[in-house]
Amino acid sequence: MTADTESGMSRATDPAARKSVPATVRRWQRLRSAALVLTTQCALLAVLLGFWHYMTTNNKQAAFMFGSPLAIAGFLEQMIKDGSLWRDSCVTGVETVLGFLVGNLIGTITGLSLWYSRFVSRVVEPFVIALGSIPIIALAPIIIIWFGTGLISKVAMSTLSVVIVALVTSYKGAVGVDADQINLMRTLGASKFQIFRKLIVPASLTDIFAGLKLTVGFALIGAIVGEFMSSSEGLGHAIFKAGSLYIIPKVFAALVATIALALLLTSVVGRIERFLMPWRRVH
Amino acid sequence: MTGELRGSSPGKAPPTGGPNADRVIPLVVEHVAKSYDVGDRVVPVIGDLSLALDNSQIVSIVGPSGCGKTTLLNTLCGLLTPDSGRISWYGRAIIGQPQNVGYMLQKDLLLPWRTAHGNVMLGLEIRGVAANEARDRGRAMLDQLGLHGFADHYPSTLSGGMRQRVALARTLVNEPAVLLLDEPFASLDFQNKLLIESDTAKLVREGGRSLLLITHDVEEAVSLADRVIVLSKRPTQVKAIYDIELGIERTDMMAARDSRDFSKYVRQIWADLDVVLQ
Repeated sequence: MTADTESGMSRATDPAARKSVPATVRRWQRLRSAALVLTTQCALLAVLLGFWHYMTTNNKQAAFMFGSPLAIAGFLEQMIKDGSLWRDSCVTGVETVLGFLVGNLIGTITGLSLWYSRFVSRVVEPFVIALGSIPIIALAPIIIIWFGTGLISKVAMSTLSVVIVALVTSYKGAVGVDADQINLMRTLGASKFQIFRKLIVPASLTDIFAGLKLTVGFALIGAIVGEFMSSSEGLGHAIFKAGSLYIIPKVFAALVATIALALLLTSVVGRIERFLMPWRRVH
Repeated sequence: MTGELRGSSPGKAPPTGGPNADRVIPLVVEHVAKSYDVGDRVVPVIGDLSLALDNSQIVSIVGPSGCGKTTLLNTLCGLLTPDSGRISWYGRAIIGQPQNVGYMLQKDLLLPWRTAHGNVMLGLEIRGVAANEARDRGRAMLDQLGLHGFADHYPSTLSGGMRQRVALARTLVNEPAVLLLDEPFASLDFQNKLLIESDTAKLVREGGRSLLLITHDVEEAVSLADRVIVLSKRPTQVKAIYDIELGIERTDMMAARDSRDFSKYVRQIWADLDVVLQ
């Protein structure tokens, strides 16, 4: 309708013009900086392992106390060959994922729905703080009495480690939504449920995902602590057993597997985040 | 001109038919007062305010900073309740949000997870307009505001001027009979501001809509409005009322600024504000 407006505006920032030539250049720059970071990380790891190796090769006592990288690699190979690494990782992985899902589901739904009622959230607040301050490890003996020594008790430990953090981060996200934005929804005629669904939930996603990334680690810790207390399989069990037998390199080998599991789960969460929040990919 | 209100927003349109249609004034404010409790003190913000917005009329409200313009707007929208006085929409006092009123602020308040098109359709979705129709109307509105080709862009990739255009499209796509705008163009550069002001004037006047524009930009107020209401400092009252007659087509902001009496009005209103500021 307004010819002058249209030409003046779209000439300045034409979407096609912005994308054309410099995009490939920019992608190269991004790749180069990513490669630089990766190289530095690898170099740092190599230096660390080299130092470790050097300190433990000519010193039997140090080799016993700290294990050597080669011995750790040897145990990893052996654990891969006899299938125990895969089995233990799967067991711990399943416990962690289940605890992570259940804890975040309960925590996030509770946290978001607390947005609905200021009254309820104020009533609940001290209880949440009290629950959050309990060290989960203190609950482990009770959990085992209640849920037995199998899978359920580990999932329960994992869930408990996650649920309060998930609740607090999602509630924080929900109440942090701009009041003007809520007013705008109201002037558009939105009901409270529509405001919740179309504004509060998506606006809280950033905080929810920050919580998810944080709780991956917590879920894993919960599962491993559960395995420490009483178990017959899992990475926590392997660590505990090797530790009691003073096979330090095997402890480290199981720890390497634990770290790999944590990195894998974190990257999965990151991928889901990028998939669910495409608008944040653009910058 | 009120007959222009399209029938595609069922049940939401104000009573426009009938012999007395044009006599029903969209918005009447009578002796409204509003104060806030700050600690144990009561701070009066709006002292005693009366004004009216007629069909197809553009009214600008200017006042010194902090004179409670935003409080006034929120009160009109039903987001705040006045301490005393009466606000009537189409001759009736309303509890809650008035219907068929569009509202736009200096902050564009676009939802970052929705594309430009998705943001424009927000109001239609909320009112349960069929998806196909909402999509078409959203696209048409973006095209009208010169945003063709940007429909699928996320707000974070748009410039300030374009974002504000999307916000305007989101307001206008609901075909409100009345628009309440609170400093909508304050954060834009001069060129963008003139362009979007002209578009706003055109869309409001062609659609026979009414517009209440709250601003601290006196030139914007004079160039857009049929009537400028000058407010006093807190507690706010009406200080002066100017009926703007520039004798030209009122959809071209450059022409408005070039017209003979433009600077006369601007000087007078500035004088009013200066007196207030002393």
